[in-house]
Amino acid sequence: MLAETTQDYLPDEAQPILSVRDLRAHFRTDRFGVKRDVKAVDGISFAVRRGEIYGLAGESSSGKTTLIKTIAGAVRPPLEVVGGRVDFAFLPGYGGLHRAPAAEVARIRWRHLSYIMQGSMNVLNPVRRLRSAFVDFAYPHIGGSRKQFEREVVAHLARLKLDPSVLAAYPHELSGGMRQRATIALATICRPEVILADEPTTALDVVVQKEVLGMISGIRREIGSSVLLVTHDLGVHAHVTDRLGIMYAGRLIEEAATAEIFRNPLHPYTRHLISSLPRIGDDVPREGLEGAPPNLADPPPGCRFHPRCPLAMEVCRRQVPATLETAPAHRVACFAVNRSEEA
Amino acid sequence: MSDLLLDVCQVSKTFSRGGLLSGQRIAAVKDVSFQLDAGRPEIFAIIGESGSGKTTLSRMILNIETPTSGKLRFAGVDLATIRTGARRLAFMHKVQPIFQNPFESFNPLRRLDGYLFMTHRRFIAADWRGTPETAVDEALHKVGLSLKEVSRRYPHELSGGQLQRVAIARALLANPKLIVADEPVSMIDASLRISIVNLFKRLRDDLGISIIYVTHDLATAYYVSDRIMIMQQGSVVESGDARTVLNAPQHPYSRQLREAALLPNPQQAVL
Amino acid sequence: MAGILRDLLRYHAEFRIGAALIAVVLLLSVLASFSPYPPQDVYVVPPDVPPSLTYWFGTTSRGQDVFWQLTFAIRNTLLFGCTVALISRILALVIGLISGYKGGWIDRALMSVNDTFIVIPLLPILVLFYFVMRDRMSWLLLALIMACLGWAYDARLIRSVAMSLKSREFTQSSLFSGMSTREILVQEHLPYVMPIVFSTTMNNMVWSIGLEVTLAVLGFTDINTPTIGGMIYWANQHTAMVAGVWWWIAFPTIAVIMTFIGLFLLAVSMNDYIDPRSRLRSFGGAS
Repeated sequence: MLAETTQDYLPDEAQPILSVRDLRAHFRTDRFGVKRDVKAVDGISFAVRRGEIYGLAGESSSGKTTLIKTIAGAVRPPLEVVGGRVDFAFLPGYGGLHRAPAAEVARIRWRHLSYIMQGSMNVLNPVRRLRSAFVDFAYPHIGGSRKQFEREVVAHLARLKLDPSVLAAYPHELSGGMRQRATIALATICRPEVILADEPTTALDVVVQKEVLGMISGIRREIGSSVLLVTHDLGVHAHVTDRLGIMYAGRLIEEAATAEIFRNPLHPYTRHLISSLPRIGDDVPREGLEGAPPNLADPPPGCRFHPRCPLAMEVCRRQVPATLETAPAHRVACFAVNRSEEA
Repeated sequence: MSDLLLDVCQVSKTFSRGGLLSGQRIAAVKDVSFQLDAGRPEIFAIIGESGSGKTTLSRMILNIETPTSGKLRFAGVDLATIRTGARRLAFMHKVQPIFQNPFESFNPLRRLDGYLFMTHRRFIAADWRGTPETAVDEALHKVGLSLKEVSRRYPHELSGGQLQRVAIARALLANPKLIVADEPVSMIDASLRISIVNLFKRLRDDLGISIIYVTHDLATAYYVSDRIMIMQQGSVVESGDARTVLNAPQHPYSRQLREAALLPNPQQAVL
Repeated sequence: MAGILRDLLRYHAEFRIGAALIAVVLLLSVLASFSPYPPQDVYVVPPDVPPSLTYWFGTTSRGQDVFWQLTFAIRNTLLFGCTVALISRILALVIGLISGYKGGWIDRALMSVNDTFIVIPLLPILVLFYFVMRDRMSWLLLALIMACLGWAYDARLIRSVAMSLKSREFTQSSLFSGMSTREILVQEHLPYVMPIVFSTTMNNMVWSIGLEVTLAVLGFTDINTPTIGGMIYWANQHTAMVAGVWWWIAFPTIAVIMTFIGLFLLAVSMNDYIDPRSRLRSFGGAS
């Protein structure tokens, strides 16, 4: 499938739909005299092209959840954006949704930018039928008469192969997978340019997960939206995303086309991560990484991976490695890798 | 014929919800049977999705729930006969749990040492020649940690992977013959998962402990288990040698699971 | 503990104010030991003298110095409140924790008893006790009776926390570590229950003092031992407000209001500090 898409449907190169530049977002707390500054997102830059599915992979305390929240504009104390910008092609100028006025945000939300969350119950009102969710979220943007709107909703559901009878159901009457698919239909009905998906299939059974991911892949085909897919599950990334960015401790340490990352991972963390994943049918003994991800309130100086890195050098302890384009369309933030490429 | 470590014999569990007249009956586990040999430690995986009954089954093995019908015998003792405190303690001496969420396994308001030293005191101290500290340190070393790292720490100060290892160390301190692990790695980062799963292998090979590994993740089950049992809606659909079953599943549901497992290999992308 | 108090004093304005108010009240009650007049004596000073330099809070129509009477009154009232709160907390904790943890028929039995106590109407029962006991009704006995009436509601609160804790996995970990029921309740569950115990202690004290004042004003207690309510009772008997002896009523009232507000502020600020959820939030950060 992946091979097909790179030939059939090349994402638009010229103008990225979403561009993040040197974004820094910290959690600052001051409680009973104890100050903490958790550097959850510490200098992240990347761009999502039109019509592509861009994956962000990272484990716990990698900062990926904070990153998605910041991009979505859900920035409330103790979370603060301390630097950088988030630019959408359809919202120029503000440098981030959190800086835009409420009227602009209301215009953008759902029409140009929508979300798929981990728990569908976070989005759907448990005491109202699904139809009301569509009316609340999408009708203000689509307008027209109610009858027309209903017809559009039903047509949209049919396109996504969902039975229109779900509209009359309450959320608890549907299975988890069905609910999540309905949430995806809800997120796509206004044909937004960008969809933020945060762990959309983590809580679902494996069989259902496959259907939901098929739906997400289908979105790009049917509607042409870009999807920013955040999950720790590399299996999901392998099967769905076009490009993949790897996050570690608040920084983006590697980024390339998904197939490239799996075939030729360059950063030591990525290499270890990919080689440590067990596969069915493969009896090779595998080893895990020593140590644990750093505490973001007190991260190690320089490269945050250096305490666990087999290639750590003196410079890694002192300086933060820049994200350089080591190979064509393959960025890596590592002194060891970039130096050997130079040499 | 060697003795059976664990004998699960036609066990069923039905939950009833609601009142006397209009209640619902949910059959969580239906007629499940399997055995573990005492002489041959192994890792036995129970695979299922949500609603398969695997968690209920593991709770029955731990004697936290009682079966509606059927018998569970551990080392010849019928679990239903364990009623007194002393017999319960004797049972827990041999069978220990590992839970899914390492952060929930410990009281966030208490230091971790408390659990470790308490387990030592209750189960081993009578036969232990050295100090409690050496016993706890030894158990922590078996999982790749040390008392110095863990001493006086609260759960939130450690990562999920480290906490789960402390949970395993705590279970080891009781000197069990069987460990029942319910989704022990599903909430742990992928890079740390394999080290916990490798640890299970070492427990089986070096310490002779059998492990019941309850999970929905086929890849780790393939990697580490000897035998595997697949459950759907409370019943067993397929069981046997792990590699045989997963490489060539027979039952349609097993096939479905196998196909849906997303392997980290873009070349085989099916979406 | 000292560290906690220091932090609270430094960062929480509510705690500072509450502590200041209670400090004043406590000072008054300590001063009772230095009173030049025995508390029960009457006509030891000229009656109906307004507040002046000799008699700081004035004197009553019964010839007692209001200031010194107040010190005894506030001390007795506080002691009463503390006794009731202590006994009823212990009852509520024991019953709530056991009921929540054990479940089954123990829970049902205890909760039936509990619910019976909740619906008992307090004032009529207390008045009834008074009429039956009359002169044998000592303060200690009244405190015991009120403690027995004041545990029921809080026991249910504690029970619901205990029930939710029982289903959490660390309770299972404790069980499999070999801990006994008593050890689990005390070491694992008690810390989660403490905020409720704390805020309900303050509530309970406020309630019991309020009830005592009510009873005393109506004359249903031993009115010879000075208490806040007792002072107001006597003031009413001598129609103090009409006679213009306002200081007899004003100062006890101010004292008891200070006590209530002080206790409330203390409870609120300590609660915020001790509450496991806010402590846990201060541990966690981002992900």
